[in-house]
Amino acid sequence: MTETQAPSPAKALLLLPVLVLLGLFFASVFQLFSHGFADADGWSLRYFRQILHRSDYQVIFARTILSSLTVALVSVALSYPIALLLWRLERWRNTLLIVVLVPWLVSLVVRTYGWLVLLGPKGVINGMLAWTGIIQQPLALMFNDLGIVIGLTHVLIPFAVISILSSLLAIESNLEEASGVLGASRFQTFRRIVLPLSLPGAFTALIVIFLASIGAIVTPIVLGGMSHQFVGSQIYQEVMYTFNLNKAAAWSICLLAISFLSLLLLKAIERRLIGPLE
Amino acid sequence: MSPAQPEALAQAAPSRAARGSIHVTSVAKTYDATTVLSGLDLAVEAGTFVTLLGPSGCGKTTLLRLIAGFIQPSAGKIAIDGRDMAGLPPQRRPIGMVFQNLALFPHFSVEENVAYGLRLRNVPEPELRRKVGSFLDLVGLGHLGGRRISQLSGGQKQRVALARSLVLEPSILLLDEPLSALDLQLRKQLQVALKEIQRELSTTFVFVTHDQEEATLMSDRIVVMSAGAIQQYDTPPAIYSQAANLFVAKFVGELNEIPGRIAATTAGTVEIDGPGGRHALPASGLRGYSPAPGAPCVIGLRPERIAILPPDADAGGSIVLPGTVIERIALGPVLRFVLRCGEQRLVAVRLASDGAALPEAGAACRIAFDPADAQIFEPLAAPAAASFGEKP
Repeated sequence: MTETQAPSPAKALLLLPVLVLLGLFFASVFQLFSHGFADADGWSLRYFRQILHRSDYQVIFARTILSSLTVALVSVALSYPIALLLWRLERWRNTLLIVVLVPWLVSLVVRTYGWLVLLGPKGVINGMLAWTGIIQQPLALMFNDLGIVIGLTHVLIPFAVISILSSLLAIESNLEEASGVLGASRFQTFRRIVLPLSLPGAFTALIVIFLASIGAIVTPIVLGGMSHQFVGSQIYQEVMYTFNLNKAAAWSICLLAISFLSLLLLKAIERRLIGPLE
Repeated sequence: MSPAQPEALAQAAPSRAARGSIHVTSVAKTYDATTVLSGLDLAVEAGTFVTLLGPSGCGKTTLLRLIAGFIQPSAGKIAIDGRDMAGLPPQRRPIGMVFQNLALFPHFSVEENVAYGLRLRNVPEPELRRKVGSFLDLVGLGHLGGRRISQLSGGQKQRVALARSLVLEPSILLLDEPLSALDLQLRKQLQVALKEIQRELSTTFVFVTHDQEEATLMSDRIVVMSAGAIQQYDTPPAIYSQAANLFVAKFVGELNEIPGRIAATTAGTVEIDGPGGRHALPASGLRGYSPAPGAPCVIGLRPERIAILPPDADAGGSIVLPGTVIERIALGPVLRFVLRCGEQRLVAVRLASDGAALPEAGAACRIAFDPADAQIFEPLAAPAAASFGEKP
């Protein structure tokens, strides 16, 4: 019915917000690129050369990528049993899901400072360990890569739980029964049926968390300290402390490129590992 | 971890023809306060195609799941091939199961779905290939082994589910309304295919359905269930013509119900006051009912047992009532008549080839039936009739 009607001017007006959003998006990307490929005197690749060649910057890239990969793998590994539990405990599922999501109700900055209290040299964890006599010297739990990984994993884990849980919930209800009748033990059913069918969710979680972690700013600043920068926190510094917007833009373009390339790579691995399910 | 080996399969293998008997003895199942099944007794001979038939909520699926071992009876005993199954989980029983939603493994190919149970039993690869191939051929999917499940049609999925269970050569195959999601045409094809496969393998099939036509078409024997109890267990023709009670008679096939009242019972005959006066019917028509004079009853007549005679015809020994033809509908090989006899509405079915001699709609006629064809039932209790048949 409506398909054949010519779009009325009033309906066209509804497109306006979308156009505004798209316009802003492209304008900002254009801004980013025009800043990145320039310095104070005009067009230049100076900052790219600098970023890609300085060895301390290469460490930042390596730290960002490796830590994010660690965060993604640890998050998925920790979330899988949680998601399984939520899947099994049908009656408690919604309540437990709220518990999983409660950290999101607290501001990211507040949560990250909470970790300072826990992880510091005189923090709760070191205090407990020293008090029980397990350690003499406090462990270095923050202002290093470990602190960043702990903080980011805590922030991002709910994504993994939700993603894995949704793929578990998509498993047809009596596949497990069917597998049992055909002679499988509970473990065999898990390994051959449940696990393969929930892998797509786990892999999606891996990708989402990796991409979210690679752009992190607050957690690396607070828990990594000045000595352990992420690309994101480096960009923040260029903008807020050295006021070098051109360099910040060049950093951002590099980060964007890394995100895209790793997305392509992870998708290729996913296809290889899991194959098309449908 | 090694798979739970169903030793029953291995033990019973030599005497295959005798495999697959089921003995259900006073089985009951209650959940909290609700009784789902009570005092069930059933003996199924090996190699039978038996259908559990009844309206939804009658307990047929519960009985199936009890036989499968997904749930345990609250009381009573279930034995397969003479072995008590108490406490055994499904994988320790000599059964296969086809689920209502089929429960195929979406991440496996057709072949791998069928091979699943064999792989769990560590069947050597050449034998596994051979078996998977021959069972895919049996269900007519030999050419589709490499397909993904999502690439199959509904009917093909049914066949995969069937092959996946049958390849393990269970003594008993349990089928939980597997055809209910298919369209009519496909369902009819698969009903025939299922029956043929069952005959070929002579495995005991226990098939759950609420479709009485499906049950009649496929089964050697039908268990009619209602309100958690078995109403009748018999062959399809016996259930149709010798229903144990009014519930069964109404559930299987079409039935004309004529209300009446018992006037007198003598040896061999029952006299009933009904439409058109008092009729003497043979006492052999009583179906599980021994009424006292004055008790209400229902005379049940199958549509094909009602003859329609021209006003002047000779009725022989039949009971004859005056009536009118309301509707005359041609349904392929048969003619379907809706008749009125006083307040009573009756449905009659005659062969279309006899149509020339039969009256048109609106014509007056005489409605005749052989007293021996009349079945006399106890009326269903009113609330039970509404909820489809609880036995008092």
